[in-house]
Amino acid sequence: MKFSGYNPSFGSLPPLVVAIAFSLLTGCASDPQKPEGSEDARNKLAQLQADSQLADLAPVAIKDAETAVRAAEAPEKDKALSKHLVYMADRKIETARSIAQTRLAENQRSTLSEQRQTARLDSRTREADDARMDAKDARLEADMARGESEDLQQQINELNAKETERGLVVTLGDLLFDTGKSELKGGAPDHLGKLAVFLNKQQDRSIIIEGHTDNVGSESSNMSLSQRRANSVKSYLVSEGVNARRLVASGIGEGSPVASNDTVAGRQQNRRVEVIIENTVASSN
Amino acid sequence: MKIKQLFKGISLRYASLAATLLVLAACASTSQPPTQALQAAEQAISTAEQARVAEYASLELSEARSKLLAARGEVVKEHMVLAERLAHESRANAELASAKTAAAKAREVNQEMIDSTNSMKEEMHRNTGGHQ
Repeated sequence: MKFSGYNPSFGSLPPLVVAIAFSLLTGCASDPQKPEGSEDARNKLAQLQADSQLADLAPVAIKDAETAVRAAEAPEKDKALSKHLVYMADRKIETARSIAQTRLAENQRSTLSEQRQTARLDSRTREADDARMDAKDARLEADMARGESEDLQQQINELNAKETERGLVVTLGDLLFDTGKSELKGGAPDHLGKLAVFLNKQQDRSIIIEGHTDNVGSESSNMSLSQRRANSVKSYLVSEGVNARRLVASGIGEGSPVASNDTVAGRQQNRRVEVIIENTVASSN
Repeated sequence: MKIKQLFKGISLRYASLAATLLVLAACASTSQPPTQALQAAEQAISTAEQARVAEYASLELSEARSKLLAARGEVVKEHMVLAERLAHESRANAELASAKTAAAKAREVNQEMIDSTNSMKEEMHRNTGGHQ
């Protein structure tokens, strides 16, 4: 039998069959070149596989990516399909990378946790040490304060100072001045020197210097004398370094006796200068 | 001789017919929508949304959504192959979004630890200097 209409080309096989057979052999389509974008995908995957930190942390995901890249690399005439495969490969590679990064972070976490714990421990130790140091300092300060207050008491005793509701009162006796005079006598510095030192330690407490006399002589002359004597004491103290702003000098005259003016001893007691260290701090103006 | 030729003729005919059918079956699109692929994409997007990926991978999530939408559109037009590919791409984006978010969150946790360690160290050094 002859098949009319067929033109023999490959032996006795008709060309249509040859074409079909050929396409069956090579798949639906055929293009020997590597599809566009597949090389980029391959490189991206290679980069991930070469990353020593990440490469071993997502084996399954990387294997999926490898499969996808191979599919993308396969020669493909259908451009749309090729593009799709390249796209899928890219997504799979990125996913694999993210999974690996997550696991890396989780692996590092235990180390970070230890470091944080160490820092916390160190800081607690430091706090404890500081607390010990603070306690030590506090004890030292307390000891010093005790020492100071003992010195103070000694000084107060030496000065014959008395605690009153007005403050600490140092009474300077009659021997500082000659009769009717307001200039300090030679021996005054011994007594007043100690007072100056003491006052300088009193830290800005205000000081009132009050001059008193007995009742011998007129009231007005006694008033004036007592004022001038108070001023002398003030001048001396200032010269010894006491801040003048702290000092107020006033004359009381005969108006405030501490003893009876009828006796010699009493009159002597009344002739005095009182230095009152007030309990409140002096204002700065 | 004649019989051989006869058989050759018949088998060739069948062969070509069969071949044609095979080729058509392999290369032609079906008329069935890619239901499985669409569902998988939906599931992946839903999973991603629950992990609040919008903060860390908003781009990938919106890609996933738009591709799913496009896939459904192609189903309506009966471009089933295209629809399936879009559904695959949608799912791939949703999975990427989830993975990226997990990585970002993991890094954040670590960073917080580093920061708190550093601030404790700083405070310690400050206190040492300032101790009276």
